[in-house]
Amino acid sequence: MSESTQSQSLRAYLSGDAVRSALLHVFLYGLALLMAVPYLYTISRSFQPNELLRDPRPYWIPPLVGEPITFEHYQYLLNNTLVVEWTINTFIIAGGATILIVAIDSMIAFSLTRLDWPGQGVIMGIILASFMVPYYMNIVPLYQIVSNLGLINSYWGVIMPAAASPLGVFLLYQFFRDIPEEYEEAARLDGFSTFQVYTRIILPLAKPILSALALFMFVYNWNAFLWPLLVLSNETAYTLPIGLVNLYQGNIDTPGLHMAVAILGSLPLFIIYLLFQGQIVRAVQMQGATG
Amino acid sequence: MGITERISGGEASTNRKTVMGLRKETIEGILWSLPYLAVFTVFLVWPAVKGLYMSLHTYPNKFDLTETEWVGIQNYVELFQDPVFYNAMEGTLLFVAVSVPALVILGLVMALGVNRDVAGKRTLRAIYFSPYVLTVAVVALVWGQVYSQSYGLINYYLGFVIENPPGWLTSPDLVMGSLAFMTVWWLVGFNFVIFLAARQSIPERLYEAARLDGATGWRAFRDITLPQMRNSVVFVVMVQFILQFQVFAQPYIMTQGGPSNSSDTLVYYLYRSAFSQQQFGYGAAMGYVLVAILILIAVINFKVIGDSNV
Repeated sequence: MSESTQSQSLRAYLSGDAVRSALLHVFLYGLALLMAVPYLYTISRSFQPNELLRDPRPYWIPPLVGEPITFEHYQYLLNNTLVVEWTINTFIIAGGATILIVAIDSMIAFSLTRLDWPGQGVIMGIILASFMVPYYMNIVPLYQIVSNLGLINSYWGVIMPAAASPLGVFLLYQFFRDIPEEYEEAARLDGFSTFQVYTRIILPLAKPILSALALFMFVYNWNAFLWPLLVLSNETAYTLPIGLVNLYQGNIDTPGLHMAVAILGSLPLFIIYLLFQGQIVRAVQMQGATG
Repeated sequence: MGITERISGGEASTNRKTVMGLRKETIEGILWSLPYLAVFTVFLVWPAVKGLYMSLHTYPNKFDLTETEWVGIQNYVELFQDPVFYNAMEGTLLFVAVSVPALVILGLVMALGVNRDVAGKRTLRAIYFSPYVLTVAVVALVWGQVYSQSYGLINYYLGFVIENPPGWLTSPDLVMGSLAFMTVWWLVGFNFVIFLAARQSIPERLYEAARLDGATGWRAFRDITLPQMRNSVVFVVMVQFILQFQVFAQPYIMTQGGPSNSSDTLVYYLYRSAFSQQQFGYGAAMGYVLVAILILIAVINFKVIGDSNV
């Protein structure tokens, strides 16, 4: 290949690359914009009066005549509905489930990887096999069990089935298994008890994965829909997702209210997402890496 | 477990026989496992067993569920003769057929795009993943208006292009596709971040080596990217099949299965049978059939994409 053709092809290659890169950016940012449209739409509409919202024409920026911006939907929600109570309920349920899951999952993962006892292989096998049981298959018998335990309309009725999920056990099992034995060996020689090995060696080393798991479980249980819908039939006990839907079905022709409740209902999680995005994404990626 | 055996073997005290001839470590191991195992047994294993019992019975007294009547496999026989069940199955399969391929392919395209040399990777990732943290109730409320026939966002703009844009949630032919499209918006971020991590873990030297051999573009994708990402593709396909097969909240909130039952799904029907009509035996039987179908799908998935050299 002569030098001139080489530089020519290089130039062609470069310009093709620039075009390709520009197209790629247009595609990716166009997609991001499209994905963000429902957000902008929701925010904008939550501040508009219902008369404006029933107009077939969407107002991205409200017209400057009359009273284009209103807080009436938010005021109505805060004064006339239990949206604050629902938020508190959701915090308690998602938070309680998360704490319980991190505690008991890390304990059994510790026991299965760092202690040696007969039968642990069988138990891990059963927990793994339970991944095959789709969640919804169990709802009918589970409802009866929870009802027999007197947990209908109680936080525990939502928290306990959530804590039975094998996902956390599985993720922590893999992580704990790979912690080098030297750490533990040294600690044992220093006379650490099993409890001390767990709290002072394993848990500190596992902090990143524990926080990722906790955040994922919090988001997951905050958003849970079908099970809370079944267990929480009392309006004061609703979680946000259940409350939102009930409000929606009771006020079908109030678009502004739906948008305002959508904002209030997702705001707490969105703040958490903005703060801890990395860990939540990491928790999802860990699931994929183990698949 | 060799590791801990050596450690405890070095320390005679931990290996000493204690209560009823059990080693201290065995007792500890069981105690540490017990809290999770108790929850797991009561709220996951026991319902699975109880469900089988329930599916073989009917509950004639809706107020006293201790009153049961053995009916054998009658619930299952009825289920397989139930036109509502087949209609719900059809709706579910349609939803899965639209949503799963879109979720997987779009997630893959987004991941491969962001993995390239683009500005603002973090911003893109934040936006792409963000709908995943919304609850399905919020997604339904927002999209209910986006799809609305009278004041909806889509139909307003579509109205400039075509006359009488369709009712996305009110046309029997479109409703499942509309629910699936919305679901792709909601959940594609999950697949995207998994694919992104998988793509980023492929060593760059593989591509350099391929470039020296003249393999770029499509061939590099086929010979390096896909095989290297196979595990995560299998994982995502499986997870999405299982998840989307259990679609419930979208039709429950937005369409109540309508119009004319065109958006009914299996889990929604299960929910109605057991919790509106109080047919607990029938609902439990449907739960078991769901599991059987999902296991079948898992096996087929493994056969199709697990074995072949994609």
